[in-house]
Amino acid sequence: MAHTHRPESEIALRVKAIESLLVEKGIVDPATLDTIIEAYEHQIGPHNGARIVAKAWVDADYKQRLLADGTSAIAELGLTGFSSEHMVVVENTPQVHNLIVCTLCSCYPWAILGLPPTWYKSFAYRSRAVIEPRKVLQEFGLAIPDEVEIRVWDSNADLRYLVLPERPQDTEDLSEAALAGLVTRNAMIGTAKVQPPAPPSTLAA
Amino acid sequence: MAIETSNECMTVAQAQSLLQNGVDCRGVSDDPPRFQAGDRVRAKVMHPITYTRLPRYVRGKTGTIAKVNGVYVFPDTVGQRLATKPQYVYSVRFAAQELWGPEASPRDCLYIDLFDDHLDAT
Repeated sequence: MAHTHRPESEIALRVKAIESLLVEKGIVDPATLDTIIEAYEHQIGPHNGARIVAKAWVDADYKQRLLADGTSAIAELGLTGFSSEHMVVVENTPQVHNLIVCTLCSCYPWAILGLPPTWYKSFAYRSRAVIEPRKVLQEFGLAIPDEVEIRVWDSNADLRYLVLPERPQDTEDLSEAALAGLVTRNAMIGTAKVQPPAPPSTLAA
Repeated sequence: MAIETSNECMTVAQAQSLLQNGVDCRGVSDDPPRFQAGDRVRAKVMHPITYTRLPRYVRGKTGTIAKVNGVYVFPDTVGQRLATKPQYVYSVRFAAQELWGPEASPRDCLYIDLFDDHLDAT
């Protein structure tokens, strides 16, 4: 088989070197590593969070339980897991917009949203989200009117946060699964709103 | 008493269980919480050279307890492999202007989970 040379970044090489050392010394079992990588590549991701959001949109009782005790309501769907052990769900409304950050490092509800995006871990996001959330949101393309209260949640301890975004208008006819398909990762962090489907369903005759 | 950390190689089964069940960081305390929702509190001014979950930007600032989150082990000491020191964690609400001055929006606020050892009554 032809050897195709692809330059690898310094960090990738470093990871490779550390991994082979850990495996050689018997500190890490490669099968265990594969199990973890496989889980985050194929099972765990923002589609889990989207399921929770869509269910809350169509089921008022579930929404109430979710906002009162995020951990147990999420456990009802079997979606708890590593780094999502203690969950708090905060609701966006026409009066309140919530934004999640971890200024300390990059705490994030892994079991529900998957691995955090690079920007979430950047120094710029972590420092600016608390100091000037309106400017940061503007840069994400989200203008929050002055009369709307912004609540920034610094997930500094062991609780993890999920934003329950507003359900877009004209989605009454959509199924729970179709609604889940509209929910983006950023909407559940608070750096985006959920957009209605295109083309608008109201145009259907 | 130092906390021992296992150096055993993690098995596939242990990894699956960890992914599924996570790590429970809750602890137990016989004491009632020192603060209740609505209480005014001030974050301590301290500058430990060791690990802390008390960020600089809230030190010395006054906020309001929004919720008592329950008892959790204390990362400031666990991080050094010292005691677990279980204690209450509170969701504390700070006005944006208290943290950042008059140029911040008068409407906005910040919520942060702080440990009992980080807080004083005002």
